[in-house]
Amino acid sequence: MTTITTPIDAPVAAPFVIETRGLTKRYGDEVVAVSDLALGVRRGEVYGFLGPNGAGKTTTLRMLLGLVRPSSGRVSVLGEAPGTPDGLARVGAMVETPAFYPYLSGRDNLRVLARHADVGDSRAEAVLDEVGLTARAGHRVRTYSLGMVQRLGVAAALLKDPELLILDEPTNGLDPAGMAEMRAFIRAQGRAGRTVVLSSHLMGEVEQVCDRVGVIRGGRLMAEGTVDELRGRAGLRVRADPLEEAVRVVSGRPGVGAVTVVGGALDVTVEPARAAEINRVLVEAGIAVCELHPQTASLEDVFLELTGGAR
Amino acid sequence: MTRDVTAELLVLRKRAATWILLGTWTFLGVFFAYVVPYALDPDDAAGGIGRFLPEQFTANLLTGFPFFGGVFALMLGVLALGSEYGWDTLKTLFTQRPGRLRILGAKLIALGVVLVPFVLALFAAGAVASVVIAQIEDAPVHWPSAWLIVRSAAGGWLILAAWAALGVLLGVLTRGTSLAIGIGILYALVIEGLLSAFADSVGALEPLTNVFLRANGYSIAAALGASADTIGSNGPGSFEGPLVGAGQAVAVIAALLAAFAGVTAVALRRRDVT
Repeated sequence: MTTITTPIDAPVAAPFVIETRGLTKRYGDEVVAVSDLALGVRRGEVYGFLGPNGAGKTTTLRMLLGLVRPSSGRVSVLGEAPGTPDGLARVGAMVETPAFYPYLSGRDNLRVLARHADVGDSRAEAVLDEVGLTARAGHRVRTYSLGMVQRLGVAAALLKDPELLILDEPTNGLDPAGMAEMRAFIRAQGRAGRTVVLSSHLMGEVEQVCDRVGVIRGGRLMAEGTVDELRGRAGLRVRADPLEEAVRVVSGRPGVGAVTVVGGALDVTVEPARAAEINRVLVEAGIAVCELHPQTASLEDVFLELTGGAR
Repeated sequence: MTRDVTAELLVLRKRAATWILLGTWTFLGVFFAYVVPYALDPDDAAGGIGRFLPEQFTANLLTGFPFFGGVFALMLGVLALGSEYGWDTLKTLFTQRPGRLRILGAKLIALGVVLVPFVLALFAAGAVASVVIAQIEDAPVHWPSAWLIVRSAAGGWLILAAWAALGVLLGVLTRGTSLAIGIGILYALVIEGLLSAFADSVGALEPLTNVFLRANGYSIAAALGASADTIGSNGPGSFEGPLVGAGQAVAVIAALLAAFAGVTAVALRRRDVT
């Protein structure tokens, strides 16, 4: 493993909103929570950080926020070293279950944070309204449900009207309606031009919401790309008779990749939109087509393959 | 920084524990400085009946600050930062704009501000108690000079502030409240208490006890009028001496306060928030 020994406080000069190089976190000699991680998050995208429990997602996010010091490697967040006041002023974050003073009301908790963040107290009212907590804002946080605490966490993350939102498992504890609402909220943030980093172990969530995804396992980045890229090339599954003749006809056509026989059917690597053309060519060659449908790997398949079946 | 301090004052002001400590400290402070010794035998009490009269109220109350008040301030300090670990709120605070040291600074200043009513409430309650006793004894009501009251309040505040800073340090080092309060009380009672008691007979201990909060706190109290008799009969917090000069005592307490804050800052800055 290569260790970059450049001082960790030195920011990476980056075209990315977040960029890490060789980011590593060790606890003692035995535990390597994050290893040689290279991430790049572009401005305005919703980036999904996907990995099973214990993969190192939260440790990575804590390093991005300056809560945890990397053992080695370099990190740049909005062009700043993590945890600096200039950087934090433009970042909103919710790390794991949001934590607040239980004896203070939701409103007072946000006032405390607003004063530390150097934004007006009135901003607390605006974000409470944005997450639909105004009616309960005067009640103590200890009386809130987990879902309400999650909403308050999102409100706290929005206080600074940040350029970058870092959300760690934001749908934890939410009911299905709350989860749908949260996903819609995250998509809206992305559409509004805000960069969002969403950490999750829920494939459906990431698939629905994210522009690009990084898959982490055992502290290492296993893959990074758009959801479509991670799913791999799309294709068609064709059942035809005679099969050997079908292979001959389809193979070698422009734009057609691998053609393999799997369990009495053909797996053809080709754009699914060309299904009608493939069907026509086969029929014109006197081949009976019994079945033809598009085939793509789900993100879940890819995730399970990359993470060895862990969730 | 002002807004950071107002944020921390809001956190302390709305916390029930702050008010419970303030009320308990004020009640017990008067109870042990006036009610118990006066009820037992006012003439034989250390310092005599004059100790209970208004003219001596600051000196009488100050004897409670170096140990008894110190433990209350220590608990307040522990709660101010140790609880942040229990609630996991440090991550929320440290992802706001200011750096860790500015947040710590705001917390320490807010603690210092909150200690002012601790001093003033006890002084006010003690003054009332002394007037009541003067009425009972049919004694004239003479007050100490305003300057002495101000210096006594400042001395009392400094003693409490040093203990509170020790509490903050213990809260950060132990990342919690229970162990920190336990260690703090153990330190106040056993380490400082026993070693101070032996310092009389074991000369080698004297240089050590001279840097204790107890020795310097009582030296400040003595410089502001507390009698050696009263200090020496102060229950588990009693101190037989030797006392040091007022200037040295103030300097040592201020240095301890700064040292506690400094070590806290280093620990808070370097440690991961996991």
